[in-house]
Amino acid sequence: METPEYAYLAWALLFGHIAIVIAGGFITVLSKSLVRALVGLILTLFGVAGMYFIMAAPFIGLMQLLIYVGAVSVLIFFAIMLTNAWPGGDESAKKPVKRTVYAFLAGLAPAIVLSSAVLSAAPASFLVPEETEVRELGRFLMEPFILPFELISLLLTVAMAGAVILGLERRKRK
Amino acid sequence: MSLLSIYQVVAIFLLAIGIFGIVYRRTLIGIVLGIELLLNGAGLSIMAAAQLTPTPNELGQVGALLVMGIAAAEATLLLAILLVVSKRFQNVEADQLTTMKG
Repeated sequence: METPEYAYLAWALLFGHIAIVIAGGFITVLSKSLVRALVGLILTLFGVAGMYFIMAAPFIGLMQLLIYVGAVSVLIFFAIMLTNAWPGGDESAKKPVKRTVYAFLAGLAPAIVLSSAVLSAAPASFLVPEETEVRELGRFLMEPFILPFELISLLLTVAMAGAVILGLERRKRK
Repeated sequence: MSLLSIYQVVAIFLLAIGIFGIVYRRTLIGIVLGIELLLNGAGLSIMAAAQLTPTPNELGQVGALLVMGIAAAEATLLLAILLVVSKRFQNVEADQLTTMKG
């Protein structure tokens, strides 16, 4: 950020990723086909991962790619394919204007409140964040953050067991 | 407008468009897509708040990792619930799921 030409490049990179995030978000909520909406979500996830990289956190960016793009979006794709939602019938019907207005207001109200708070009260920030070693991260996860770490592993186990039980119950009833 | 504000405004955009999607979409899967956008905004906000201020960086990075783990657990359960719902009701439209006892 010290030399002007690199600063120019960095800002271009940042706003490029912001543009990717915004375009992906609009594709996700407005696309008629759910598969296209999922592709928009993946675009957004890539944009957010890029923003993590720009924030000098490559480990979290890679985790974002692995967990979200690799696992969660594939799960949602399975959900689209296994339910009857995907042939375009459900979302392609015309939506009532009232619903659009309500959705717009529901999204806009918290956005206005929170962004006015952020813009008026944000503290001064670093222009160049510094990178944290993965080793430091692991030590942090093992010593002060051991309880959330164990709780999240418990949560993942319970969620996995619950998903399996729900799937088995469906088969038994049939 | 500092760099932190830019990141937070992007996170708020993700929150707003996630809520918009949750209200606007008709099927449960569209609602799930909105929830994922919202959770991503949360992760981005936590991360920017720790990485760009004197707060210890590890705090934000571990927080973002926890948000991702919760999102993964939530997506797993939602897939199972969607399968059960589509089996019992033959569709996944939110307006038509009106009985609590399948």
